Amino acid sequence: MSYLCLENVVKTFDKTEVVKKMNLEIKKGELVSFLGPSGCGKTTTLNMIAGFLEVDGGRIVVDGKPVHLLPPNKREMGMVFQNYALFPHMTVFDNVAYGLKLRKVPKGEIRERVLEALEMVRLAGYEKRYPKELSGGQQQRVSLARALVIKPKVLLLDEPLSNLDAKLRQEMREEIVEIQKKVGITTIFVTHDQEEALAISDRIAVMYEGRIEQMDTPVEIYNHPKTDFVSRFIGEVNQIQGQVVETYNGQQCKITFDGYEQVISKLGVKDSVMNFYLRPEKIQLAQTNREGLHVKLERKMFLGAKTRYILQFKEKQLIADISNTVLNPDLIKEGQDVYAVWNPEELLLVKK
Amino acid sequence: MQAEVEVQQEQEILYKQEKKRLTRKKLDSWLLLLPTLAIFIFFFLLPLFFLFITSFKTFDAGSGIGSEWTLQNYVKFLFDKFYLGVLWRTVKIGLLTTLVAIVISYPVAYQITKANGRLKNYLTLLVLSPLLISMVIRCYGWVILLSNNGVVNNTLMKMGWIDKPLTLLYTEFSVVIGMVHVLFPYMVLSIMGSLERIDPSVIRASQNLGASPIRTFFSVVLPLTLPGIFAGSVMVFSLAVSSFVTPAILGGPQVKVMSFLTYEQVTTMLNWPYGSAIGFLLIFIATITIVVYSKLLTRSEKGVAIQ
Repeated sequence: MSYLCLENVVKTFDKTEVVKKMNLEIKKGELVSFLGPSGCGKTTTLNMIAGFLEVDGGRIVVDGKPVHLLPPNKREMGMVFQNYALFPHMTVFDNVAYGLKLRKVPKGEIRERVLEALEMVRLAGYEKRYPKELSGGQQQRVSLARALVIKPKVLLLDEPLSNLDAKLRQEMREEIVEIQKKVGITTIFVTHDQEEALAISDRIAVMYEGRIEQMDTPVEIYNHPKTDFVSRFIGEVNQIQGQVVETYNGQQCKITFDGYEQVISKLGVKDSVMNFYLRPEKIQLAQTNREGLHVKLERKMFLGAKTRYILQFKEKQLIADISNTVLNPDLIKEGQDVYAVWNPEELLLVKK
Repeated sequence: MQAEVEVQQEQEILYKQEKKRLTRKKLDSWLLLLPTLAIFIFFFLLPLFFLFITSFKTFDAGSGIGSEWTLQNYVKFLFDKFYLGVLWRTVKIGLLTTLVAIVISYPVAYQITKANGRLKNYLTLLVLSPLLISMVIRCYGWVILLSNNGVVNNTLMKMGWIDKPLTLLYTEFSVVIGMVHVLFPYMVLSIMGSLERIDPSVIRASQNLGASPIRTFFSVVLPLTLPGIFAGSVMVFSLAVSSFVTPAILGGPQVKVMSFLTYEQVTTMLNWPYGSAIGFLLIFIATITIVVYSKLLTRSEKGVAIQ
């Protein structure tokens, strides 16, 4: 049974629909990311769930009760903002206690719960500090404690890590997932960083132009993107074109990529042109394998654990990312002829 | 060895040049302050110093300022009920003006901050417009409205609400009204300044945690605008206690304030030392009031003070 439902939710700004009939179901305790480029409607959707924006159509249901007509202070959602949004005139303790005081929780219990929440985000002993006296990461942790201490129905995270530096971002995201699993709270995480979304989510909703393009587990999204946008947005892809040479009983067909022939298990029409995506890390390089696609190494870039090879194939370029433990980058010189090989199952058919 | 010494010498020269450059740069920025500093010293600090000296001199009927030193001027003021009454009235008018200005300016500032783009500019201009008209003209406007035969009294009598005119003019009430009219733009502007600095997501956070809009205002918005309220209060209060034109026209001799007293002593009685003492006491009391006020305002809000 889904815990949080969006049913045909619409939002319009100045006659343009920024969120178009969005449907979404999130299970209890699940961590779902809203992923998409800026302007895709992910933050707008989050703000509608939190109640900061009114819905122009449709319903939002939490735990079986419609909430889309309630003001934000009655929705019992905990939100963590991109810029932390701590109350600058209150100590860390008062910031975290704010929601509990509003709920008329007895003083002794407030103290207990605040200290417990601060302990959870590893900020015990910081109660008397003011937000100004904390680093960005610490402020974001206070913000997380403040949102969680009221035991909200849903935790909303609006790009919580984008103001932190790279190293801290990784640490914080692991911490967030850890806390989220421990508390078992239903969570929506808005981000434009695909790596972040892939790393932490139970499921990802990839959004584009006010629509959910695909909602699936990270593995499914990466390996079986359902739309053209998803395959281009998640990870990097090579676009290649092949011509169908032969078809076998409608199940398989033989395709040629400039002389490199492969049999794939996809439906094809003889002599038609098919477009595919291929992930850079799925390409292997060989110096002698005459079976592969004949290409020339144009440039190589050492990226630490892997090396990126830019391959010239007729007028087009292919990118191959190969781990340095698999292939020693010194073996192939720039300008050298090589063969690119891949498993035909890794080809993703482009849907237009 | 030789080369090493040379390199070292070269570095030392470079270091000295760099240091010289930096000192000059520092000096340059101070030079820019020179005009302001000159005006401040010659036209404010120096006269204030002379005022201070004069206030300890005896009165001489011939030349105004006598040659002997005395504390008599201060003693005369501080042990006289009439003078103390004037001082109290001045401070009271100042505090009342400030209070009324805060109450009427806050909603104005709030609405202007919420407006967007062009409307915001027009509203700001509208608030500032009283400053474009001479203070004397504005005060006489209030005289027309508030006098016994004025618009307000006439209207009330015609409506049959009162039988004889209310005494509105030449009271502390009329002085406060005139003063608020003149000074409230300063309050609006400084409250606006601190309202605009509030991060909108802080307000959202408060609502998200369960606070109603009213609760959010008193727990978050108001505390965060205390610095603006304070800055506005300092301006309004110090301008109100030192103002001369408004109390002179709207208060007259019935509502004597410190500035009027000083004026009287200096121009009519020609008692410069006593006038100086009164002027100095006004500065002293005003400063103390502001310090106490700031302590009260920031006592519970350490976070704001840190800001």
